[in-house]
Amino acid sequence: MSLAEDLRQLLGADRVLDGSLQRYLYGKDSGVARGNPDLVVTPRTTEEVAAVVRTAKRHGVPIVPRGAGTGLAGGAVPIEGGVVLSTTLMNEIHEIDPVARTAWVGPGVINLDLSNATRANGLHFAPDPSSQSACTIGGNVANNSGGPHCLAEGSTVNHILAIEVVLEDGSVIELGGIAPDPPGLDLRGLLVGSEGTLGIVTKALVKLTPNPPEVRTLLIAFDSVNAAAATVSGVIAAGVVPAALEMMDQRMVMAVENWLHLGLPTEAAALLLAEVTGTADAVDSEASLIAGEAAARGALSVRIASSEAERALLWKGRKSAFGAVAQAAPDYYLHDTVVPRTRLVETMAEVYRIAERHDLQMLNVFHAGDGNLHPLIAFDSEAPGMLDRVHAAAEELVQLCIRQGGALSGEHGIGLEKRDLMPLSFDQVSLDAQARIKDVFDPEGLMNPSKVLPEGARCFDLAARPPGGAWV
Amino acid sequence: MFRPRRQTSRRCLGLSESHAELAALRQAFGASSDELTGAEAVLAPRDAGEASAALRWASRSGARVLVRGGGTHQGLGYPLDPDLVISTERLGSIVAWEPEDLTLVVEAGAPVSRVEAMLAERGQTAVMPERPGSATIGGVVSAGVSGFRRRRYGPTRDRMLEVTLVTGDGRLVTGGGRVVKNVSGYDLPRLAVGAFGSLGLVVSVCLKLWPIGESLATVTLDDPDRADLLSRPLAVLDLNGQVTAYLGGTPGEVDEQSRLCGGERRDGLVWPDDPAGTYRWSLRVPPKHTRYASGRVPNGWDRLALLGVGEIRLASASIEGHRDLRAWAEGIGGALVMVDGPDEAYADLDPWGTPPASVEIQRRLIAAFDPARVINPGRLPGRL
Repeated sequence: MSLAEDLRQLLGADRVLDGSLQRYLYGKDSGVARGNPDLVVTPRTTEEVAAVVRTAKRHGVPIVPRGAGTGLAGGAVPIEGGVVLSTTLMNEIHEIDPVARTAWVGPGVINLDLSNATRANGLHFAPDPSSQSACTIGGNVANNSGGPHCLAEGSTVNHILAIEVVLEDGSVIELGGIAPDPPGLDLRGLLVGSEGTLGIVTKALVKLTPNPPEVRTLLIAFDSVNAAAATVSGVIAAGVVPAALEMMDQRMVMAVENWLHLGLPTEAAALLLAEVTGTADAVDSEASLIAGEAAARGALSVRIASSEAERALLWKGRKSAFGAVAQAAPDYYLHDTVVPRTRLVETMAEVYRIAERHDLQMLNVFHAGDGNLHPLIAFDSEAPGMLDRVHAAAEELVQLCIRQGGALSGEHGIGLEKRDLMPLSFDQVSLDAQARIKDVFDPEGLMNPSKVLPEGARCFDLAARPPGGAWV
Repeated sequence: MFRPRRQTSRRCLGLSESHAELAALRQAFGASSDELTGAEAVLAPRDAGEASAALRWASRSGARVLVRGGGTHQGLGYPLDPDLVISTERLGSIVAWEPEDLTLVVEAGAPVSRVEAMLAERGQTAVMPERPGSATIGGVVSAGVSGFRRRRYGPTRDRMLEVTLVTGDGRLVTGGGRVVKNVSGYDLPRLAVGAFGSLGLVVSVCLKLWPIGESLATVTLDDPDRADLLSRPLAVLDLNGQVTAYLGGTPGEVDEQSRLCGGERRDGLVWPDDPAGTYRWSLRVPPKHTRYASGRVPNGWDRLALLGVGEIRLASASIEGHRDLRAWAEGIGGALVMVDGPDEAYADLDPWGTPPASVEIQRRLIAAFDPARVINPGRLPGRL
């Protein structure tokens, strides 16, 4: 039987999609790369995922897990064809334990749905990517996703206690546990952020975070990006780790304001959105410390949200930023790199110079508090030569951040996008060590192949290369 | 302090060639034989290159290597009769401290107490165990232990930004990076925590730091239920029934939280010692069962429970009752781990308990880093 026939027998005809439109739609995520899957399946249970994995393996066909497809690094792109396994039907919240502050959830549960479901218990799921109203917990686990509130609360890995995983041979295993420090190697922590290259997560036990007793949200306007960046470094240096510390530059503020009319100060060169949480005394004193650091750097104004509605409005401005870019140009390329927080000022200055050199329109909205930059280039891909310029600038941006002692990606992942840049961060032996981890979990190379690790990652690959000039 | 685990006769490595190489290494490192373990040599490499040379030799010769920092966690896991001890005592440098980025790069052999004292001068902490004794950063990381303040800041694992290690066959491998947020490749830094060197000898780590609160207080609770009213306490400890909250933050916040506790307040953080006894244990249960679990502990065992965390540190004069306690803990998804005990105890009981379901994957993963299985062989659950 063909692969499609085998899978139809497992799942029924309606959950095996192989029409040309369906294959086109599942050929990419929210990044720029595109692949072409042989077919798409939508399992409902762990057993079905395991059966799909076994079937694909029997046919020697790659398998690419996919949540909502909001990823930006090409992690869910079926670049080698094969089966795209969409987890969106596995969207059941199996159990919420408000006393333990945990929940067992399916990988297809939408991030914000989980926080909404636990709101009545005074709890939420802390990782809050900008895509949180669409992205899934399974995708968050695969990419170790972040979001503004990861500054104090940590990325997804800090909030995943256990996972159920289908391995490459179709076996099912639970990693991690509800009790602290399960003896042995922490495979849970290894699987989180592995971008579907080691196994497919079919269930997750997540930690829920109590909603803070008090919240203060500040919007601070500056007459230069430098002053805003220096304030971020100053706040961290003063010993305050706010719940969130976000920056938007003038172009981004104008795009948002033009769309949503929130009353944001468009005359400012940069805005900081800072949030502190805790007891009344803590939030008041931390808010005034942040305001003081800002004032010392010539802040134009400080607005403190006086109501929950106003706070929601300010966050709406931040979280709608990427949507607002559509007014500037039909396409955008959103970068994700990290620099030490001590290097923010000089790095941002150079980021703008790179855009200028390539004559590109750049907007910035990012997690300044943890040094996680998101330079966004708005462009029209139809313009001749444009994509080449965008890519050239992209590479320079990454090189810049690495030169500053930074990292390739803070929260979007490596996927396809940065796979070939991995040697900027890791030497050959270290990449080879990562490749050996991959081989332990996936000896046949069928689990989301061609992601994360560049060709030649294995030292063996290097040795196997013919010498220059050799006939092959 | 380090304490001999087992005094056994030295094994003969059997390869004269290896002996010649070992002699050369000993001369290069100025090493001596180890009276504590009976190992043929203690090597104290000064850098990753020397550590690599020692481990390459060990892998070629099939020598069993014990890695030693401060020697405070040597009771954890199955015992080892090493041919070679690699001491991290000469790997004690502070490589880079960025107080304004809240990150620290430090070599494995740096003592926790020295590192924390240095950080405290700038009001920062690596949230290492609060009563470290002679423990080193590398030891805490490799043994996978955490401080009391994990209730607020998470376990040691959550501090790991970058790791540099030398694999069992001598490869120098780095994972992660020196920034507070990073998803580049597989998370080796976290994986090294609790791995007992099975992925490699940890040479250095980059840790995420936290600011220490402006005001600190230690307050007893007359009614343990009041702990639930507190907002993000650093720790709430139950020492044989006496519950104490540890608070940090702004002065007003700490005052307010102290009043909620209702008991006697002392300024600063006054941490207890771990319970002492012939046998020491770590009972791990789902956090919501921490208080209930204390009631399952056999009579006469000293206990220090980390409320809200699920870890209960125990000490006992005998092993009587440990089987029932372990069976109960494992039944609810937890574990009972023997942290230390007399040498002969390891013949009678299993220090880890039932191995995890993933033990075969773990075995293959370790083989990828330590193919000859030389660093702490057999020490991990499942005798990996």
